[in-house]
Amino acid sequence: MATAIQRFFLSDKPPYSHIADLERSFNPKVTFKKVSNYKLKASDYIHFGFLGSVFLFVLYANPAPLFYKLLFYALLCVLFIIPVTSQFFFNALPIWAWLALYFTSSYIPATHRPKITVKVLPAVETVLYGDNLSELLAASTNIYLDILAWIPYGLFHFGAPFVVAIILFLFGPPTVLRGYAFAFGYMNLLGVIIQNLFPAAPPWYKILYGLKTAYYGMHGSPGGLKRIDKLLGIDLYTSGFENSSVIFGAFPSLHSGCSTMEALFFSYCFPKLKPLFIVYVCWLWWSTMYLTHHYFVDLVAGSVLSYVFFQYTRLYHLPSDTSLFSRWSYSTIEKYDMNKMNPLLSESNDIENVPLSNLETDFELNSMGERSTSPSIFDGATSTSRSSATSNTSLGEFQNEYVGASPRVTSKLRFD
Amino acid sequence: MRQRSSHLPKTFLGCLPLYIGVDISLGVTIFNKCSGAYGILALFTGHPLEFMQWVMYLWSIATLCVYAQGLFQKHRPKLLTFSQIFVTFSIDTILTCLFTLWFTHSWYSLEGSSKENSSTGTSDGIQEANQGASQAVEYGATLFITLVSLISKLYFNFLLASYVQELLLHPKYMVDQDDVEQDLKHQRPWKRWWIKSQKICYKFSKNLLA
Repeated sequence: MATAIQRFFLSDKPPYSHIADLERSFNPKVTFKKVSNYKLKASDYIHFGFLGSVFLFVLYANPAPLFYKLLFYALLCVLFIIPVTSQFFFNALPIWAWLALYFTSSYIPATHRPKITVKVLPAVETVLYGDNLSELLAASTNIYLDILAWIPYGLFHFGAPFVVAIILFLFGPPTVLRGYAFAFGYMNLLGVIIQNLFPAAPPWYKILYGLKTAYYGMHGSPGGLKRIDKLLGIDLYTSGFENSSVIFGAFPSLHSGCSTMEALFFSYCFPKLKPLFIVYVCWLWWSTMYLTHHYFVDLVAGSVLSYVFFQYTRLYHLPSDTSLFSRWSYSTIEKYDMNKMNPLLSESNDIENVPLSNLETDFELNSMGERSTSPSIFDGATSTSRSSATSNTSLGEFQNEYVGASPRVTSKLRFD
Repeated sequence: MRQRSSHLPKTFLGCLPLYIGVDISLGVTIFNKCSGAYGILALFTGHPLEFMQWVMYLWSIATLCVYAQGLFQKHRPKLLTFSQIFVTFSIDTILTCLFTLWFTHSWYSLEGSSKENSSTGTSDGIQEANQGASQAVEYGATLFITLVSLISKLYFNFLLASYVQELLLHPKYMVDQDDVEQDLKHQRPWKRWWIKSQKICYKFSKNLLA
């Protein structure tokens, strides 16, 4: 079995390549050595400063005994220090911060919380999207639609992050899982912060109470998932949602955010299956509205949040090549080069990239004189490239005139 | 060489290349435009659509198709496609403002006729009633989200204008009219119509931006 797995994943592993290797050491000295050699960048100060402040807030706001809170933080520190666990747990730091804040949210005293809005989301939904789409889609229900809605919302949503992480780890390039943990954690963390700063009632509230004012002591509602509990004869979603940590956290939808993040990462690593991932997000969007858990504007906000964090991660953290079979197939990791991929930048030594308006297009043939020479197979090393062999125009003439479309003209040439 | 307008943004948020901004603008707008499909899906629940809703939802689906092209061409843009996206986006910005005004009127005329603004009435009374947002906060937050949405759309529109302007001035993306005409002869009618619309948008963009 082990041999078969090894053959399946390692058959095309490049010789002498160690980038996909995992840390197997239990010696904390390895971590300390790495930390002492690491030079902190400005972005690291922001990253660790922000997450540190979230952990400090949780330490202050969570009502658990101080001893247990410190014990939990100590356990996390141990996991971060031991190299074999550190490679997974430390990179998931934003996820830990999100979970810590999420489970502390319900303990923030109501006197310190912002006022709950009940009209903003239905109003914005109508103003921006023409109607209460969520209400309309939930207007007609039946058992088949209930099950169809429950599958992505009540099942896939909770299992998908783990499945996606495992698949990305095995079949994506090395470091892609790290990027996924970063983007997924930050998206959820910012989502929970927004939900706490802007408490808003979900659609089930409007169905149960109309547009009456809300208060923090109210219980949540499972919305349409109550029908699933009834169908299956269980009390899973009813008790779960009634005691939810963020009852008035409709905006943004983290169900939408998570599914979009999963779809974006999968589309990035497996682009041929992109339509399938788009269908999954659309399916989850519909089910979220059908089960009266979110307004359409919440779904858009969740997906936009994911999209922005994914783009940031893609530009600064993710490997640019995702075309190979598994993580062990890669020999090098290259990050996305924003300037190299910029379609508005062009090859500085390509004559085609000089605007016609800069060229002398009204010259007379007679005035060309000796400069007009046909290319010859006898041209030596001093000969110009084929692209400029028929041209009497040198890019050097335009260095001062044309910098917009080809900024690299002014920089050092590649073959200097 | 003609002078470029100095009013358009040359970078995204002052530090990132324009094409990244265009990528994000199109992605965010596409998420919003999905509302068209869900609006029409509401028909299946037995809810009739008003004329303005039909117009808005069908327009949203049409624009979604136009904008999606841009995401497929983000690293190898075609001037004709991006001209079409720019012109569609500009019309869309104007229409979005009009739709917003129309549906704002619809919402507040509907809300004005309903009288459901009382408290949920609990035993703990006054303190719990104070935890709900006042009318002013509700209006303010609604106005804020709506304005942020419209201002973002306007900014995205300027980003696209700037991007199309750069493409117009870039020799690499010059459109060969003969090639386009030649290409048209071998296409299906709907594709011919699509490319013709791109050509019209290209001419409009060139007159406006180049």
